[in-house]
Amino acid sequence: MPDTVIATRDVSVRFGGLVAVDHVTLDIAERELVGVIGPNGAGKTTFFHALSGFIQPTAGRLIVAGDDLTGRPAHVFARHGVARTFQTPRVFREMTAAENVRFGLEFAGRGRTHAHDVFASAGSILDFLDLGSFADLPAGELTPAKQRLLEIGMALGARPRVLLLDEVAAGLTEAEVESTAALIRRVRDELGLAVIWIEHAVRVLMRFVERVVVLHQGRKIADGAPDAVARDPEVIEAYLGEAVV
Amino acid sequence: MTLRRIVAATVIASLAIATFPWLLSDFALSLALTCVMYAGLTVSWAMFSGATNYLSLATAAFFGIGAYVTAWGLGTLPYAVLVPAGGLLAAAFAALIGAAILHLRGAYFAVLTFGLGELVRHAITYFEKTYAHTVGRVLTDTPESVTVFLTVLVVAAAAVVTAFAVRASRFGLALAGIGSDESRAETLGVNARRVKIAGFALSAFFAGALGAAMAVRWTYIEPNSVFNPFIGFQTVLIAMVGGASTIVGPLAASVVFSLLTEFLRLQFPYLFLMLLGVLLILLVLYLPGGLASIWPLLRARFARGDARA
Amino acid sequence: MSLWIELAVSGLITGGIYAVVALGLNLQYGLMRIMNISHGEFLMLGAYLTWLAYTVLAVNPLVFLPAVAVLMFLVGLAVHRVCFRPIARRAPSVEAFEARSLLVGFGLMFLVQNAAYLAWGADLRGYSFLDDPVEFAGVRFTENRLVVFGFAVAASLAMIAVLRYTLIGKAVRAMMQSPSGAQLVGVDTAVLHPVVFGAGLALAAVAGALLSMVYEVSPSMGEPYTVTALIVITLGGLGSAVGCLVGGLLLGLVESFGMHFATPSLKMLLSYGVFIAVLLARPKGLFAR
Repeated sequence: MPDTVIATRDVSVRFGGLVAVDHVTLDIAERELVGVIGPNGAGKTTFFHALSGFIQPTAGRLIVAGDDLTGRPAHVFARHGVARTFQTPRVFREMTAAENVRFGLEFAGRGRTHAHDVFASAGSILDFLDLGSFADLPAGELTPAKQRLLEIGMALGARPRVLLLDEVAAGLTEAEVESTAALIRRVRDELGLAVIWIEHAVRVLMRFVERVVVLHQGRKIADGAPDAVARDPEVIEAYLGEAVV
Repeated sequence: MTLRRIVAATVIASLAIATFPWLLSDFALSLALTCVMYAGLTVSWAMFSGATNYLSLATAAFFGIGAYVTAWGLGTLPYAVLVPAGGLLAAAFAALIGAAILHLRGAYFAVLTFGLGELVRHAITYFEKTYAHTVGRVLTDTPESVTVFLTVLVVAAAAVVTAFAVRASRFGLALAGIGSDESRAETLGVNARRVKIAGFALSAFFAGALGAAMAVRWTYIEPNSVFNPFIGFQTVLIAMVGGASTIVGPLAASVVFSLLTEFLRLQFPYLFLMLLGVLLILLVLYLPGGLASIWPLLRARFARGDARA
Repeated sequence: MSLWIELAVSGLITGGIYAVVALGLNLQYGLMRIMNISHGEFLMLGAYLTWLAYTVLAVNPLVFLPAVAVLMFLVGLAVHRVCFRPIARRAPSVEAFEARSLLVGFGLMFLVQNAAYLAWGADLRGYSFLDDPVEFAGVRFTENRLVVFGFAVAASLAMIAVLRYTLIGKAVRAMMQSPSGAQLVGVDTAVLHPVVFGAGLALAAVAGALLSMVYEVSPSMGEPYTVTALIVITLGGLGSAVGCLVGGLLLGLVESFGMHFATPSLKMLLSYGVFIAVLLARPKGLFAR
């Protein structure tokens, strides 16, 4: 029985009167590749914010590798192995791509060991992502698509146990989406991380993940294998008008 | 340039400057002293505020605290002990204040540090009046001007070396990350609060030490003269002119400005300060990176030129 | 008993001024993220203009109040256009914008304060106006202090009413809560921002004009008020006009009593102490939504 790497218990996030995340309970095990989908405004990114300590949940608990980190600041989550990307890439624009990746290695990643050699240096991480040739360019000069990849590199620099990817395929061509999805699969397969992946390109996601969680209006309305979720009437209704598969 | 080379260059330059007391006239030496002092102040200010964009307007407060450590301790403790002691007290004060206000937005932080000068001045005035029954203090038994010059030089050189060392270190990387995108840096494991407090305290240490060293230049010390907001303003201005995110920029600018100030301030005090105010405004509006940002722009312009040719 | 009343009224009078100054800063920072560190200098200008009007033109300061307000409003429009709008255009992020506005404000502070030194010298100036003593609740005050309090509170209430009941006031509040949403419904920032900035400076100048009736004026008189304004905003909650009024009055009271029972020279320590205490207990202010 693989260990749970990150778990939420009844986590809710409220902003004033608005309930963005509504009592979500979720367990993610080691090496799981889980997709999170849901219509706009479903609370997916807010859920990620809570999951990574970026914001504090209004209620509920967050447990990372057995430690209750509820209410702790983001850097504590990072040091426990939770790394994430942002929907709009937040790279350190004036620093080079290599320095951006090195950042994670110097802080969250420091003191964390990881079996795989990829995590040995910024260079090897960049090579894994095929960004090696951009190592000395200021991150602000990269194209948005490359910046998205760099964000993954920064997250890997933190030598995480679980990687939270927020819509890494937005705005990409179909071919690019495919290769991104394949990369994500490689991250799980070769590097042994758990990956939680929010995506709007639902079609592609469904083909690459083993488990899908569906959020709607802040609540978890489905959680299971892709085919089962695709047939779930509540899911179909939530996506009214959108093709799921 | 490796850190080793930079330290070596700084040491050599400092040794060269250390000969000034025997080469220059009294007036020129006094000028040089002001230059060296501002070099130390601006470099240590930029170390924290330039990197993190948390603008500290508290330089005058830290400088004054250091000055008063000397005012209280002169005669009891040796000058060589008072200087670092001034730095340490200023650093401790900065750490305390930092713990209370560094988690606020930069704008709040700036205004509050601005008020610190007044706050400390009032507190010391009260303290002096109530417990020491005095307004100002006469300093006797002051060290020779050669000693003062060399001490200030040592502190400034230490500030420069520290600035370079920090920039090359993990701590410096954290400061830069905070300046670039603080909450992002936290998601990558940086304990922003702790790093900021440490940076703020480090920068305050040098301001305090310089204040303690410079205090003996006044024969009579009182809060109003020592907590002079102009020092804080001049520090920020010079750092901005030079380029707050570099080290060399403020160094070069501090020489130019100290000279300018010495000549013009006494002649046309108010007009000069007004012009400096205008200068700062123009700088921020049209050249926020300071003069140091011109250099990469020029290089880029020439590089593009070459490519076309 | 009369000591308590005297301290309380004294504190309220000071607090009323704090409220007006804070309101100005609140508008500027709450709407536009401009932390105008030179705010106090415009208070000083309002004081000097009123002093000039009285001593040179023999104009009643109260009558001159609206003139000061309009004059400084226009100055505010100009200052925003020249100093702050260019930053909004070029700044890469909100943080950079805030940092740069701070620096510009810092430069502005030195510019304005030293211009005042150049124009009027460092000596204290003053005039007497309505300084006959009156009796109020068993305590004696000079008339002018009560008048100042009345006008300060009236100005604050007027501003609160404008924000709550007029269309432009609602536009301002809408923009503070949701900049993009407000723009979607047609609120024009290009017009609103300079107007609000000007209103902020006008409020500071009115506070200065009122102060000149009671105290002496000097070029450096405005500085402490900027810091106090920030403390009041934190007390009352950013974006809350009512919070400014209540926070200002409260701070005035705390200072008045604190200064009496502790010592006057620790006034700033007291305000900073209050500030930090409120931050710890209620980080968003007493009135934040």
